[in-house]
Amino acid sequence: MRCQARTTTHVTGCLDEPPNGNHETFLKVAEVRNSCHTTAMRPSLRLLNLEVSSLQGSRTLYVCSVCRQEARPRPLVARQFLRNASNATPITERVRRKIWGTDNPPGLKDPYGGEGVLERKFKKDQPARQEEEPENLAQTSEQTQVENEAELASAEAYEPATTWEGLQRVGHLGRWSDLPPSEADAYESFMLKKKVTKKGQLSLAAHQAAVEVSLMHSLNKPLSKVCDVVEHDKSVFKMLWKCKIQPGEWKQAVVYPSKEAEKALVYIFEQIGGQPESAVAEETAEEVEEAVDESKWEDLVAEVNDSNVPFFGYADVRDKGFLSLSLSDPATKFAFLKRFSQLSGHYLPDPVVHSVATVGQVVEYVQSVLNPKPKKLADYLANSQGLQNLPNVKVFTKKQKPMDRDEELGRKKVIEAELRSRGLIDQKCKRYQH
Amino acid sequence: MPVQGIRAVTTARNGVGAFILPCKRLDFHYCDWAGSSRGMVAFLKNTLPSFAKANPQIEIRVSPRPHKHPVIKGHYINGREKAVCVRNLEPEQIFQKANLLKEASGEKLKRTKKPVTSINESVRGIWSPYHGDLKSV
Repeated sequence: MRCQARTTTHVTGCLDEPPNGNHETFLKVAEVRNSCHTTAMRPSLRLLNLEVSSLQGSRTLYVCSVCRQEARPRPLVARQFLRNASNATPITERVRRKIWGTDNPPGLKDPYGGEGVLERKFKKDQPARQEEEPENLAQTSEQTQVENEAELASAEAYEPATTWEGLQRVGHLGRWSDLPPSEADAYESFMLKKKVTKKGQLSLAAHQAAVEVSLMHSLNKPLSKVCDVVEHDKSVFKMLWKCKIQPGEWKQAVVYPSKEAEKALVYIFEQIGGQPESAVAEETAEEVEEAVDESKWEDLVAEVNDSNVPFFGYADVRDKGFLSLSLSDPATKFAFLKRFSQLSGHYLPDPVVHSVATVGQVVEYVQSVLNPKPKKLADYLANSQGLQNLPNVKVFTKKQKPMDRDEELGRKKVIEAELRSRGLIDQKCKRYQH
Repeated sequence: MPVQGIRAVTTARNGVGAFILPCKRLDFHYCDWAGSSRGMVAFLKNTLPSFAKANPQIEIRVSPRPHKHPVIKGHYINGREKAVCVRNLEPEQIFQKANLLKEASGEKLKRTKKPVTSINESVRGIWSPYHGDLKSV
C-alpha cells in the first residue's frame, strides 16, 4: 500500500520535468516508470527491475531521483531476497560454498535454521500455489466420496453371524505366548529356588562341594561336571558327608571313611560327565553303610524323609577341615563356587570371587551376607556385650527431646494435666509437644 | 583481753573427707549419616565400653542427633553444663575431650592471676587499729 501511494506522487513529479527536447525518450521513460510503479508488482520485484535496468540497460534511460533514491540503499535483506528470487541457491549457501572453497561444503544446507520471516512471507504470496490448492482439495473430496459410497454398499451387504463358524479369528496371532507350553519352555533354575540360610547347611554345601571337586581332581575329570548331578541319592550323600577333608592338595584331600566307600564314590564319580549315575551305585552304597560306624553322628541326623528338606535333614558337617582348603587355582575355584552356588543357592559377586582364597572365606562371606551388620550405631551398641553389662550407660535409639526429659523427671504428667485444664492442648491429643 | 574467734562448724567441702566427682553425666551425641561423626562413631564402638567401665560414677547417655555435628555434653553438680563439639575428630582426640569434661569442675573458666588462690579465710584476720600494742616509731 505504501508503494502505491508513493507511485502516484512521484509519477506526477517526474512528468513535470521533461528531458531536454527528446520527446520519444521521455515517453519511454514514462512507460518504464509506469511499469515499475505498477501496483500489482511486489516491492522486491520492483527493486529487481530497477536494478536490472540501471545496471544492464542503456545509459540513456532516465530514472527519476526519488526512484533512484529508493533503489540505491539496497538493504541486505532485500538483496538476499533478490538473489533468492533469481537464483536457486540462497546467499547463505553461496557464502558457505565460498568459505569452504567447494561446491559441496560439509554440514547443514542452511545453518541458520530454515527460512526467515520475509522468505516465508514471500512464498505465501506466490499465486501459483494458491491456484494449485483448490485443485487438490477437489481431488481429495472426490476420493472421500468414493470411499463413503463403498462403505455404504458394504453395510447393506452385512449379515450378522449366528455362530462362530467361518468367522475370522481375532485375538490369536500365533505368537509364542499364545501357544500351549512345550517341553522346551520348561525352565529349571541352576541354583536352588530357596536359598540355604542356616549356618550348618551352608557348611554342608561347602563340604559337599569340596569333597566332590577333590574327587574329580583325583579322578582327573573335568571339574565343572560335578554340577551335572544336582542332587545325589541319600546314600551317596551320606558317604560324601562322612568323607573328611585334609587341608592341602585338592588331589589328596579326601579321607574316605572306608575302602568300600572309596570304591563306591570313585565308581559313581567315574560316571559323572559321561552318563548319569545308575542304580548300581546305590546298591554298593547301601552295602557300605553297614560297615561304617555311625553311632556317634547319628544324633545330628534328623529322621526326615521329606525330599524337600535340603541335605536330607543333615544339620551340620562332621569336621571342619575343608574350611582351610585353598582356592588359588582358578579352575578349582570356579568349579567349587559353581557347585557351591548350585547347592546353597547363593551367588557370589565377581569382586568377592576374586578376593576369596579359601573355602572358609566363601562360607564366611555368605554368612556375612545373611547376617548383615546393623547400619545404625544404636542397634550395634544395643547388641554389644561390653555396654550391655555396664549399669551407667544408657543407649537411646532416638533423638532425645525436652519432652523426654520431662517424662524422665516425672513432671510430664503434671504439665500435661495443667495444659489440659487450661485448654491449651486438645483433649484428644495423647501427648503434648514441645 | 585476747580476741576470741567466732565459733563455727566447718563447712562441707568437696575433697575434704570425701570427694565427689563434679561431673555427674556425659551425653554423647552422634549422627549416623554425617561424615563428621565418623570419629565419634568409632569412639562409641571401641573406646566407650572401657571409658564407661573406668568411670562408673558418671552416667553416660548415648543418643543420636541426626544431621548435626557430634557433641559431648557434660552435666555438673553445680547445675552447669559444658558442651564440646567433636566434629571430624579422631577417636583418640574425642577420648581426650571426654576426659577434659570428666575432670572439669563445671565452673566457668577463669583467668588465674595470682600464683596461689584459696577459698579459706586468712588466719591472721583483718587488721584493726584498736587491737594490739601501740607501736612506737
